Amino acid sequence: MIVFIARRLVISFFVLLAATFIIYVLTALSGDPLEDLRQDNSPQKAQKIADRSERMQLDLPIPVRYLDWLGRTVRGDLGVNRDGQDIATILADALSATLQLVLAATVLAITVGVIVGIVSALRQYSGFDYTVTFAAFVCFSLPLFWVAVMLKQYMAIEFNNWLKNPVIPYPVIALLALLGGLIFGALTTGDRKRRLIAFAVGFAISGVLFTILSVTRWFADPGLGLPLILAFGLASAVGFTALSAGLQYRGPLYAALAAAVIGAMCSELLNPLLIDPTWLEIGGLVLLTVAVCVGLGYGLGGLQRRQAIIATVLTGLFTGGMVFLDRMLQAFASYSASVRGRPISTIGARTPNYTGDFWQLNLDSAGHLLLPSMALILISLATYTRYSRASMLEVMNQDYVRTARAKGLPERTVVVKHAFRNGLIPITTLMAFDFAGVIGGAVVTETVFGWRGMGFMFTKGLEEVDPAPVMAFFLVTGTAIVVFNMIADILYAYLDPRIRLS
Amino acid sequence: MTLSAQASGPDTGAAQGMTIVARTQGQMIRRRFFRHRAALAGMILFGFVVVLSFSSIGFMGIPGWWDKSYLTTGALVNQGKPTLSVVPEFLGGSGIRLGEHPFGQDDIGVDYFAKTMRGTQQSIIVAFLVAIVATTVGTLVGAVSGYYRGKTEAVLMRFTDVMITIPVLVIAAVVGRRFGASGVVVLGIFIGLVIWPSMARLLRGEFLSLREKEFVEAARALGTSARRIIFRHILPNTVGVIIVSATLTVANAVLLESALSFLGLGVQAPDTSLGQLINEYRTAMVTRPWLFWWPGIFIIAIALSINFIGDGLRDAFDPRQTRVRA
Amino acid sequence: MTTPPNVPIDPQVIDPHAYEDAAHLLDSDGEVHLGRTLQDARPPSQEEILRVENLTVEFPTEDGVVHAVRGVSYGLREREVLGIVGESGSGKSVSSLAVMGLLPKNARVKGRILFRGDDMLKMSARKQRSLRGRKIAMIFQDPMTALNPVHSIGDQLAEAVLAHELMPRKTALARAKEMLDLVGIPQAEARLRSYPHEFSGGMRQRAMIAMAVINNPDVIIADEPTTALDVTVQAQILEKLLEVKDAVNAAIVLITHDLGVIAGMAHRVLVMYAGRPVELGETDPVFEEPRMPYTAGLLGSIPSLEGGGSSRLRPIKGTPPSLINLPTGCPFSPRCPLATDVCREQEPPLAETDSGGHYAACHHWDKLAAVEDPTVFFRTESETVA
Repeated sequence: MIVFIARRLVISFFVLLAATFIIYVLTALSGDPLEDLRQDNSPQKAQKIADRSERMQLDLPIPVRYLDWLGRTVRGDLGVNRDGQDIATILADALSATLQLVLAATVLAITVGVIVGIVSALRQYSGFDYTVTFAAFVCFSLPLFWVAVMLKQYMAIEFNNWLKNPVIPYPVIALLALLGGLIFGALTTGDRKRRLIAFAVGFAISGVLFTILSVTRWFADPGLGLPLILAFGLASAVGFTALSAGLQYRGPLYAALAAAVIGAMCSELLNPLLIDPTWLEIGGLVLLTVAVCVGLGYGLGGLQRRQAIIATVLTGLFTGGMVFLDRMLQAFASYSASVRGRPISTIGARTPNYTGDFWQLNLDSAGHLLLPSMALILISLATYTRYSRASMLEVMNQDYVRTARAKGLPERTVVVKHAFRNGLIPITTLMAFDFAGVIGGAVVTETVFGWRGMGFMFTKGLEEVDPAPVMAFFLVTGTAIVVFNMIADILYAYLDPRIRLS
Repeated sequence: MTLSAQASGPDTGAAQGMTIVARTQGQMIRRRFFRHRAALAGMILFGFVVVLSFSSIGFMGIPGWWDKSYLTTGALVNQGKPTLSVVPEFLGGSGIRLGEHPFGQDDIGVDYFAKTMRGTQQSIIVAFLVAIVATTVGTLVGAVSGYYRGKTEAVLMRFTDVMITIPVLVIAAVVGRRFGASGVVVLGIFIGLVIWPSMARLLRGEFLSLREKEFVEAARALGTSARRIIFRHILPNTVGVIIVSATLTVANAVLLESALSFLGLGVQAPDTSLGQLINEYRTAMVTRPWLFWWPGIFIIAIALSINFIGDGLRDAFDPRQTRVRA
Repeated sequence: MTTPPNVPIDPQVIDPHAYEDAAHLLDSDGEVHLGRTLQDARPPSQEEILRVENLTVEFPTEDGVVHAVRGVSYGLREREVLGIVGESGSGKSVSSLAVMGLLPKNARVKGRILFRGDDMLKMSARKQRSLRGRKIAMIFQDPMTALNPVHSIGDQLAEAVLAHELMPRKTALARAKEMLDLVGIPQAEARLRSYPHEFSGGMRQRAMIAMAVINNPDVIIADEPTTALDVTVQAQILEKLLEVKDAVNAAIVLITHDLGVIAGMAHRVLVMYAGRPVELGETDPVFEEPRMPYTAGLLGSIPSLEGGGSSRLRPIKGTPPSLINLPTGCPFSPRCPLATDVCREQEPPLAETDSGGHYAACHHWDKLAAVEDPTVFFRTESETVA
């Protein structure tokens, strides 16, 4: 395995090296770097041209310039752009914003896409399946930049306006309720009567929910509160136990329920710590949660210890996530006030010079990340949904799934243990491919939302025929792609024992 | 057994008790494609867009039926708002009519319908050129490396490895920066020349598995030349994969071109394309939203219809129909 | 001998008697012996454990309704081996998948499937599942695809136990090891951690058998258990299957298109054609004195090692009918040398023939009874002249 990874690393290194050469040469050939100066009418024109020519070594042939760039890069010097600014400094600012965007989009797209795809496959030919399939095709066909501009206009500007008086008009509530009913109905299989009941239940739940949210003006000062955290935690406990161990045995269920209750109580007990934590403290809390949950699962799981631990840890993390979300939402009102009531931002990666506590700062980046990620996710989401649906359908028809059923395993185990894991194998290959696409998408998204990120660095560099920033962009993204490929390979080997040998 | 085996309708009472109606492969594929309703709808929609864009303003000097040009300015009518109306009068609308400027006018009074049609033409040309070039090069490289294996394969595959590490948008942007101003034909060809590696990968995989098949073995045993085996024996068996992949490349190329033009790295003004139009009027979202809507709608219409056609073709060439073992 | 892990151990390599095992199917003079040769430790009882009554299975498709099974009835006695023979498409696999409740959702199943008197088609899904794998187990045709490639053999065996009984994993794994021992997989303890791709075909099928019997089932449905295996391995697997059946006291429904396998193993045999049973009876009478031309035709198409001019293969001409569009009358009539007008108009019911317990669905079974060698009707003209 280690040999396998090492070999891949060496190959990837040379592949990356060759790619830098291609990009360098193509960029250098893509236009005239002195174009703007040639039209300059100022008296220092000649001097300016001479300066830039010297800085960019325009008198040397391109391959020599490349070797020079390579030599300096190996020594850790990324050079300067054509105006003399240090690339490393620009990169430092651009890097974190872009990586945040790309990673957030990728993780969300994989999680949501795979889940939707699997549900769609398990409910093949249902209303849900048809809707998802159609939606995926529409997403494939949407120009990213167009969606981004649309989101900026309607999600940000109009939503912020609406937040000033967050009352949902009754026709809209009716529409949302109808939508909720349709989703419930489409997810249900069986005869007309069952689907109608599901529709009615969905309609009622969403109707009541949105009415309450509107009447209490929840959006102006949102939050979950202890009762809701507890309710969501308990529901997740039941859900995760049903998935991992089934509900007929008590041990795992009690362990997971206990985790939910303890987690909810901690939202109050840990108040002093949670008022203004640091990321380090949050990380510590996550580890503590996992430790406590493993203990609970081990102690209460009985004969189904393994499954109990899985369910309990997932419940614990979910409940913790709810507590985190609750705190973020509680900070919303004060944050919103501090940015003049426009919490969903359309420009940049953060509010310039903003100061606040941990929650407000996070809310600030979340507010800036929200729309670009939404735009960026769409296409990947569609890809993951389609692939996992196809993969799952294929796997569900395999002989070994029939064997699993023939053993008398419950459908839950058949799907989770036998189908899901096999279905994930082709998805790992897709992950590697898709990541490069997301980076390309980030370039476009950053342009629309005015982020001074990696994408901006790339497009500006390219427009100015300036290889240094373009190469810095490619070094970072190329390495990220290689690393992501590696993760995908390792995941593949973990999932499929057949390739561990080779 | 496969349930797609075709039995005749009424029993003919022949000696066998039934007759099996034989269908050629082409007939089966056509039949399956036309049963795919979304693909059919996609085909109609795409046909409509092509005919509309090329016939309305004409093409390469041949005049069309629309009397306004995408180059000449005119007086602004009603602040350039679209005059197209689809709401009938009895529903409170202004009736179904095209009006003087159905898609409105831009800020200097150019007819936006003509401009959108010109952009649509250009985008379609780029997309098809990209797909044709990428498919041809990708197929050749994939076929050669998949069939010959050995050093040829190693070299070609390492090269595609390198190209695949670079995000498509990045390499296309670099090419677009250089050739964007040289017109859509040059741009399309050069973008095609840099995005073929994924196609080559696909074809190589197909060739790798097909070259081990008995019929290739048989051809080789008969002393058939490698060239003949590649083009006469293996290639026809990959036609499905090639066609489907080429179709989807067209859809992706439409989106790629529009993204590049949006970034200012594709088609350059005064020439136009759908993406370039959106880029040009992107700040007009608030004051003149139609300048932003129309090109967007046409990009989606083209990409969506071609994606549906591609899906229908995939189903037609590779039917994973319900199989029941008896 | 120590074997490095991860290298497939083929039982053929370690069993020098592999080829001898196949010999039980042949007589001393090399002729295929039709008749049961393997001895049971405990003979079957008369009590019926599984009863299938008038089972029909239909699949709606785009091209019309496929009538895959059209009225199958049989009873399976305790510890009995019932062979079901037929060509592909005859409905033999579909009918047994219906018994397991493993048909795709779109299948329309009618009739009754009684396990110890309870109709499985009317049971709750949960009750049905509790029988599946515990009381009725199944062995599939292709052990290459029937085992999950990403889970270890031990895990897949233990899981079959844990599905029906709550116990520590260790206990379940210990039971799995016992079963691997029983089916003759060497180094069972180490093999629990192996993955299916590390096993040879024969060993995989042994693992499948172990998986089927791990819960001491009453009925084992074996769907062409040896079709995907080498001939020499086939015999070993069949012998092991009988041995294991005796060890756990199960009855077997053995589905195959290989008459030799049925002859060597089954107490009774059910012949199926176009979704219907066409002949049912004790193995020896059915094979020696078939009362349905289709069975006679099948027997005539077996290659035999006896010498002489008539040693050519005599395949049945024509193909089985489409299950979407069945002809009226007997479905075999288009291919039957004995067919008359009545055959083309009326489908014969499965009825008792000249000997007790021997049923056939043929208008003209008496014509077969009248000749000594019933395969004579399938001889080609040139043979008849000679």
